Amino acid sequence: MNEFEWRRQLRELHQPREPGRDLWPAIDAALDGAAGARAPRRNQSQRRRWLLAAALAASVVLAGGVGWRLLQAPTASTGTAASSTWKPADPRLAGAAIELDAARMELELAIRQAPDSAALQRLLRHTEQQQAQLRHLADRAS
Amino acid sequence: MPPVSTAAHDGDDVRAAAAGDRHAFQRLYRLHVGRVYGALHRLAGYDHARTEDLTQDAFIRAWQKLPDFRHESAFGTWLYRLAVNVALMDIRARGADPVSMVDDEHLPDPGDTPFCAAEREELEQAIGRLPPRARAVLVLHDIEGWRHEDIGGELGMAVGTSKAQLHRARRLLRKTLGEDS
Repeated sequence: MNEFEWRRQLRELHQPREPGRDLWPAIDAALDGAAGARAPRRNQSQRRRWLLAAALAASVVLAGGVGWRLLQAPTASTGTAASSTWKPADPRLAGAAIELDAARMELELAIRQAPDSAALQRLLRHTEQQQAQLRHLADRAS
Repeated sequence: MPPVSTAAHDGDDVRAAAAGDRHAFQRLYRLHVGRVYGALHRLAGYDHARTEDLTQDAFIRAWQKLPDFRHESAFGTWLYRLAVNVALMDIRARGADPVSMVDDEHLPDPGDTPFCAAEREELEQAIGRLPPRARAVLVLHDIEGWRHEDIGGELGMAVGTSKAQLHRARRLLRKTLGEDS
């Protein structure tokens, strides 16, 4: 047999073929067990969505609280750092600083679980901006 | 890789099956089982019992992975590729010897093989007698129409190695058929 004929015969083997018996009943039965393999992905997705929604809600509440406190704070004590060690003397600003620190820590924890979440990253940046704004306000007031 | 043309209008069933509709998945099974079974049958060396097992595994895995299907290719193409992967994983799991390790003495005596190589059944029997990995390379390239780049990627070998193994697989097949090349 020459090479051309050889290749032609091989290509002709590329045909669909029906099974000798109906395999669907066995597959259908196995899918009951396989359904469990789908569940974790869905649960994980739901958990991630829940986490994102909770973070968004917390951010909105936090932003409102901080805004209210900033509007209510004509004076503030001095501060030098935005980290959790920074604590303005003014109790109103100190409360806001604690809340912002807690929010940042929670967001960092959430980001560890969902590092690809752009929304969480955006919230973290927003929280850091609020912390900087709070520091600036405390500086001005001092 | 050859396109799959059997399923131009199964998008609704794919979406329904991804959402958990078992009846939609059954329709997809009916539509695609011939192509999947055919490819797996060739890769399994025309062993019906093993092909049935592989086909069931392929459709179960498809059901599990369907929520990840992004509709970037035809469902039939995605399913076909998934099924071939199931067969190749089976070959790897069985610890099949690579082609380069196959010794000619391990091949059946050509005298035991029906000698009319022009007949399809005899050719299939000869392919079925090849060592699993040799058969995988030959089937994927010469029958399924895969490129060496794809074969190498799936079997974890360089393109040059895939070409060399195909050459050897063809020689083994000719020898099995009693032809000298």
